[in-house]
Parts: sequence; C-alpha cells; structure tokens
Amino acid sequence: MTVFENCRDRFVRAEVYCRRLGTAFVAVGGIALAVLLAVTVAEVFWRYALNDSLLWIEDLSTMSLTVVVAGAIAYGAGEGSHVSVNLIGRFLGRPVTRITDAVARLLGVGVTAIAAYALFAHGSCGLACGAVTGSVSIPHRPFYYALGASLVTYGLLLTTQLLLGLAAWNAEDPNEPAE
Amino acid sequence: MMDGTGIALLGFLALLVLLLIRMPVGLAMLIVGAAGIAVIRPAAAVPVLAGEMFAVASRYPLTILPLFMLMGNLAVVSRMSQDLYHAAHSWLGRLRGSLASASIVACAGFSALSGSSLAAALTMGRVSLPEMRRYRYDDSLATGAIAAGGTLGILIPPSAGLVIYGIITEESIGRLFMAGVIPGILLTLLFVLGVSIVVRRDPDKAPYTEEPVAWRDRLRATARAGWILGIVVVTIGGIYAGVFSAIEAAGVGALLTLIAACVRRALNRETMIEVVGGTLKASGTAFLVLFGAFVFKVFLGLTGIAFVASDWVAEQGFSGAQVVLLVLVMFIVLGTFLDGFAMLVLTVPLVQPILESLGVDMIWFGVMVVITLEMGLISPPVGLNIFVVKGVAPDVPVHRMFRGIVPFWLAMLAALILIALWPNLATFLPNAMYG
Repeated sequence: MTVFENCRDRFVRAEVYCRRLGTAFVAVGGIALAVLLAVTVAEVFWRYALNDSLLWIEDLSTMSLTVVVAGAIAYGAGEGSHVSVNLIGRFLGRPVTRITDAVARLLGVGVTAIAAYALFAHGSCGLACGAVTGSVSIPHRPFYYALGASLVTYGLLLTTQLLLGLAAWNAEDPNEPAE
Repeated sequence: MMDGTGIALLGFLALLVLLLIRMPVGLAMLIVGAAGIAVIRPAAAVPVLAGEMFAVASRYPLTILPLFMLMGNLAVVSRMSQDLYHAAHSWLGRLRGSLASASIVACAGFSALSGSSLAAALTMGRVSLPEMRRYRYDDSLATGAIAAGGTLGILIPPSAGLVIYGIITEESIGRLFMAGVIPGILLTLLFVLGVSIVVRRDPDKAPYTEEPVAWRDRLRATARAGWILGIVVVTIGGIYAGVFSAIEAAGVGALLTLIAACVRRALNRETMIEVVGGTLKASGTAFLVLFGAFVFKVFLGLTGIAFVASDWVAEQGFSGAQVVLLVLVMFIVLGTFLDGFAMLVLTVPLVQPILESLGVDMIWFGVMVVITLEMGLISPPVGLNIFVVKGVAPDVPVHRMFRGIVPFWLAMLAALILIALWPNLATFLPNAMYG
C-alpha cells in the first residue's frame, strides 16, 4: 500500500475539492427548498384568498423537489449522512474494516457511476420520450441531469475516500463512520 | 437456471452482506436491485434505475419530507424547545420526577413540529439534561427519559417514519398522520407513568426539589410556548379539519416556524446555513434510502417472491393476527441492529402483500411498525437515540443509559399490546376524518 501512502496528500486535497463540490449543492438545494416552500404556501393562499387553484403548482413543486434531492444527496455524501449499519466496526475493528470498507467503497463507486449514467442516458431522451411535466410541460431533462450530477459528486467523493482508506491502511481511516 | 424465489433469496443474502460491510443502505439496495433486475430482465435495468430514481425524486407526496424537516430545523434554531420545556415543567412541577416527565412531554410537543426522533432527542437533551443534572437526577433516568421521549418524533405527526411507510405501501399520508395522534399521546402518558413508577420504587433517582408553581406563572410559561403550540394546532388541526392536505400543512407549518424564528430574532447567516444544511442532510439520508428501496421493490416484484410467500402463508393457515405478531417480533429483533428506515424499506414491500391478503388494516399496522422502530432507536447495541444523548452527556457510560431505557422500552411494549387489543386507538381518528 506504499504507493497509496505516498500519494496521501493528493488524495486529501482531492477529497477537499469533492466536499466543496458537495457544499456547492447546498446553495442550489437551498434555493430549490425556498421555491418549494413558496409554491406550497402559494397554493393554499390562492385557494382560500383568491378562491382559485394554480395548475402549475404541482409541476413546479415536483421539479423543485428534484433539485432539493440532488442537492441533498451530494451534500449528505460529504457530511457522512448516508446511513450504514456499523456492526462490523464495533466487533471486528480496523484489521477487517480496512478490507471491507475498500470493497464497499469500490462497489459504491460502481453503482453511483451506473446510476449517474442511467440518469444522463435516460434524461437525454428528453422531449422525444415525452419526458415533460403533466400540466405546464416543464422538460424533465435538466432535472435528470441534476440528479446525475449529484450522483457523480457522490461517486467522486467515494473514490477519494477509497484511496484515502488505502493510504491509511496501517492507521485509522480518516472517514470512519461516526457513531 | 434459478427461479424467481431463488434469485430473491440470493438478493436478500447479498443485501445482508453489503449491509454488514458498512455500505450505505441506499447504495446497497440500489446495487442488489439493479443487479437483480439485470439478471431477470437485462434490458430493463438501466431504464428502471433511472426511471425509479427520478420518480422518487419528483414524487409530489414526498415534498412533505423536506418541508417538515425544514420546519423542525427552524424550530431548533429558534429555541422554541426551551419554552416548551418550561411550560411542560410548570404544569408537571409538583410530581416526583417532574423534570424527566417534563422532558418527555416537551419531546412530544417538539415531535409535533419535527418528524425526526434524533432532532427531538438532541434538542430536548440540550435543554433538559443540564436541569436534571442540576437537581441530581439519576443519570440513567435522565438520559433514558430523553432518549425515549425523542423516539416520539417518528410517531407523533409529522412523522418521517409514517411518510416513508405511506410512500412504500401507497397508503394515505394524511390518514397515517391522524392514526399516529392517539398512540403518540398514549405513549407519552405511558412514558410519564414509567417515570413515576421508577421514582416510586427508588425515590433517590429524582430528588424532590420543586416549589409549587403559581397559576399565573403556569399560564405565563404556556403563553411563552404559544408559538409552538399555535403552529402545532394550525398544522395538525388543519389536516384534521380538512383545511389543508398533509403537504400543504407542511408548507404552512414551515412558513409559520420561519416567521416565528424571524420574530424571535433567531435567524442570521449562520443559523440559516445550519437550517438549510440540516434539512438537506436529513433529506439526503431519506431519499437515498428511498431510491434504493424503490429499485429493490421492482426487483422483488419481478421475482414474484411476495406471491410465493403469500401462498405459503395461506397454505399454512396462519391468521392475520399471527402473521402480524410474527412480523412485529421480527421488527423488534431486527431493530436492535438495523437502521429503522432500512428495516422499513427492506421488509414492508415483502410483507405488505401477505398482510393485505389476510385483511390486515395497513394503517393500523403502520402505527404498530413505527412503534417497533421506536423500540429499535433505544435498543442495544445500536440504539441511535442513545448515542445522540451520549453526545449531550459524554460522561455518562452507555451501559447506564441502556439500563435507563428499560422502563420506557416496556412502556412501548405495553403501547403495542394496547393498540393490538384495541385497534381503534389507531384507526378512530382517520376513520372519523376520512370515513
């Protein structure tokens, strides 16, 4: 594992960049959250104050939710908020978890890559596949891409964590799941 | 060539292995689900993966999750929990163990603003634990009361547990919320009863310290908690009265909490970042698990294992009550080491067809399931709420905390038995409202 240990500083820097990328999603997710709140309240206001209903509310809500989710998954990845079951760490310790963590992260990189590919590929079909919202025809494509970008960010973070874990083969993993 | 049942069992085994090696629950289900679909219908794997993830991320009923999480986070930074705790204490102050009981009642009140048990335990722990320690309450009682009180967050509406259960089973979230109200109040009362029994058996656990509180002071303390009580009445009352849907109630509740936080001058750049970050983190946790759950659900559907299991149960001649009992025992056992949401999304798609074929009311069952999730949150060795409270009281050993939760765990078991014997405790409100 000397090769990885020698590159440790580079991996640390790469992880910092990935976390920053995740944090950038907070701004996007935060704005989408504000939009989601505003349109949900607007619907109630329109119904009771103006005795009318807004057809486009559900479309806007669902697309805002997609952006919130994209932001949430990328940001959550950097903050370690995606839940896992930490039994093995309690009972078997680092000699085992350094191997299992590497396998889990490698598989995680694989599945995020496949999922991101699926989202980009499926989303790129766009209008030709009738991928628009029901009432006001908001195209789905950018929202598929937002989710895909979020998973790419998650995958990149997992890659850096995999490399950092290998670099810390004989020491504590800097990304050990919190209790 | 392996049949559908064999592939499904292999899938479950692979999932268990992935969970054991600490793979995030959502990713583990995505891997097994996608791989399983690829084995059964190779051409469908990529479209299903993309389609299910997008469908979850753009599902209108799920807008409720980030909105209620926003509401809970705003309530945390606006320090309304302190007012709630002092109001509860002013009314319960003359009881022995009143600080512990007040923590539980305040947790119940806070739970009506936040769907998260962890947020309820953390917030009320910060407020009430220093008070209990100041009055020399036994550490096990103090931490146990907070950890158990916090679990009410996933039963009392708005409840993230009930939302996810509703999405998976396609039951009405409004009905589920209403079904959680009476069991939530019942469980709160049972917790308070638990405190009183513990203190009666060993008075040293909660030294009697309180002076009687004048009526005027009680009313003043209650008025200070008026914001939180008002928001709860508007949101939960609004759903019950049919003024709002559950989603609209989440939006209105979040707006009112935002206004309250502004009026109380609790919002600045730092707290806004804390609120948005906290909301996104919690939403990310839930949605990644849901992504995995829905892809995994498609895989299970393709294997046909649910029908095989239903047929097997019918052949054995099991009744609905027997199967429910078996499933709940399984949940209680699984809850000791598996995350609650993971357990919910892993098992409910499998047991739902069996229970429905036996005529089990899925609203009533949902409430029972959520109580078993609550039990898991305080059960050793991975009771999450215990570790949240440990963060507030780092000097209290975990084994003392686990000892402290025993009366509350028994109270949950009592609640389960009561709701099993009298299903109306869960179904009365939704039936009264929706028919």
